[in-house]
Amino acid sequence: MPVDGSLRLILPEIIVAGTGLLALTAGLVSRRSRLPGFVSMLGLAAAAYFLLAEVAGETTQIWSGTVLVDGFSTLFKAVFLGIAALIALVSFDYIERNGLPAGEFHLLVLLATVGMMFMAGSLNLITIYIGLECLALASYALTGMLRGSAKSTEASLKYILIGAISSGVILFGMSLVFGVAGSVHLAEINAALAGGTPMLPVLLAGMVFLVAGLGVKMAAVPFHMWAPDVYHGAPAPVAAFLITASEAAAFAAALRIFLVGLPAIQEHWTTVFVALAVITMTFGNVTAIVQTNMRRMLAYSAVAQAGYVMVGLAVASERAVSAMIYYLIAYAFATIGAFAVVILLGRYHPAEDIADYRGLGRRAPLLALTLTVFMLSFIGIPPTAGFFGKFYLFQSAVAAGMPWLALIMVLNSMVSIPYYWGVVQTMYLREGETDAPLPAPAGVRWTAAIGLAATLILGLFPDQVVQLVSAVQVVPALLSGGL
Amino acid sequence: MSIPLSYPLMLAAALFGIGLYGALSQRNAIRILMGIELMLNAVNINLVAFAYYLEGAAAAGQVFALFIMTVSAAEVALALAIILLLAKREKHIDIEQVNLLRW
Repeated sequence: MPVDGSLRLILPEIIVAGTGLLALTAGLVSRRSRLPGFVSMLGLAAAAYFLLAEVAGETTQIWSGTVLVDGFSTLFKAVFLGIAALIALVSFDYIERNGLPAGEFHLLVLLATVGMMFMAGSLNLITIYIGLECLALASYALTGMLRGSAKSTEASLKYILIGAISSGVILFGMSLVFGVAGSVHLAEINAALAGGTPMLPVLLAGMVFLVAGLGVKMAAVPFHMWAPDVYHGAPAPVAAFLITASEAAAFAAALRIFLVGLPAIQEHWTTVFVALAVITMTFGNVTAIVQTNMRRMLAYSAVAQAGYVMVGLAVASERAVSAMIYYLIAYAFATIGAFAVVILLGRYHPAEDIADYRGLGRRAPLLALTLTVFMLSFIGIPPTAGFFGKFYLFQSAVAAGMPWLALIMVLNSMVSIPYYWGVVQTMYLREGETDAPLPAPAGVRWTAAIGLAATLILGLFPDQVVQLVSAVQVVPALLSGGL
Repeated sequence: MSIPLSYPLMLAAALFGIGLYGALSQRNAIRILMGIELMLNAVNINLVAFAYYLEGAAAAGQVFALFIMTVSAAEVALALAIILLLAKREKHIDIEQVNLLRW
């Protein structure tokens, strides 16, 4: 490996991976289950520091185009690091209570984070695939970590079987695209396809396989069958991690593959994504209404939210991309915050039914209030972040001449009101069996507070955030002037 | 006297179809894994065939195939570990009977 400073550009990834090994060691040598969590958070902070102080602002490709550093990848990496740190924070108490191996837990979360960072930080199909698998293998293991729980094992088995099938489908699509374009680098694929290709049917088949395979990772209907089971059966912090970070990584990879590599057949994939977005949000919302379990309700709500984000992918304008990123960030904070409350309640009510939230307004007034704000953000009511996320997506759909798509989004948001609002009603209007206050561990309280602060700040200063986000481009500047 | 590109591609497509059908239709978790392996091997045939016929892209296709083999080995190891976990508790590996999580 040449010492030309290129290693510096992936220093954040190296730090995260190294921290994982440190956390594992810490878990082996120390009986205190909190030590690996602190190690992990420190490492993530160091990685974030290097990312923002050293790497941010650079746009360059290293190692024959296998790794790319640009604004888009830096932004996504920062989001992944933030989510991983929040997950470490919220899981202190959960790990102790369920007797999970703390070192292994944090190692796997950090390795999954490294995988996501490479997914967002490359234009090379091979690197994207390796990142995807690094994330996926760690997630399968994390899902099955509650070894005493039959639900956890079942979720993990379903996840790995469906995940492996979807990897095969993505790979088949990649191999066809590689065959038609003669390259595994997305910019070269774009250049090869720009003048049209005699093998258009093969290319379209490859596109269909890519959409289907990535659709599984994004939990798009009809490829979502694994999602509710995994989000329900996995350990709660892991479910929060998968709903937020893993989905964001899948969207980051999809944005790169379709916008950088396959703009030549944009009319074809736009149609597919429009259809998927409409089906996904409608199915997710309608199914969420009938759920009685809190985790399953949040799982179907996650499917619906993936549908909203996919509107941005279907529109695929610059505005839509920044709206997507804003939405993913806003949704991540609200979801992790809501899961902090779910984790706390799960400690006293393992069944995690929505009915268990009765009387929460009296038992834990502050947490009930924060959960209310998160539900308002999910519905999309100002001044929460969720409102502006949806608003920017509407705007981008209307600007792209698809007002009917925006209309379907609005209708879907209205359909979603009863089930989100039902939780709030249950907390405040229905009497609980007991009025005993619920003491919350510090990690849970801090996570909920950070989620609340972020949801409100993103909602109160949306313009500033959007300005920051819209500065990044999916197609990096160094490519527009040729390779 | 070289084989036309369409031959290996048709083989790969058929193999992928058989693998996908197997993965989606079988009840035994190990058989599903075997189906998945067929799918991945079909991808490898595709990549290696394209690499042979494409000028200048040979390395990329072959490297990709090598990576897929390595990763799929890791994937199968993990899947077998999870299946073992299930087999120890439930004494079967029939995925139709694994249905605690239903709405």
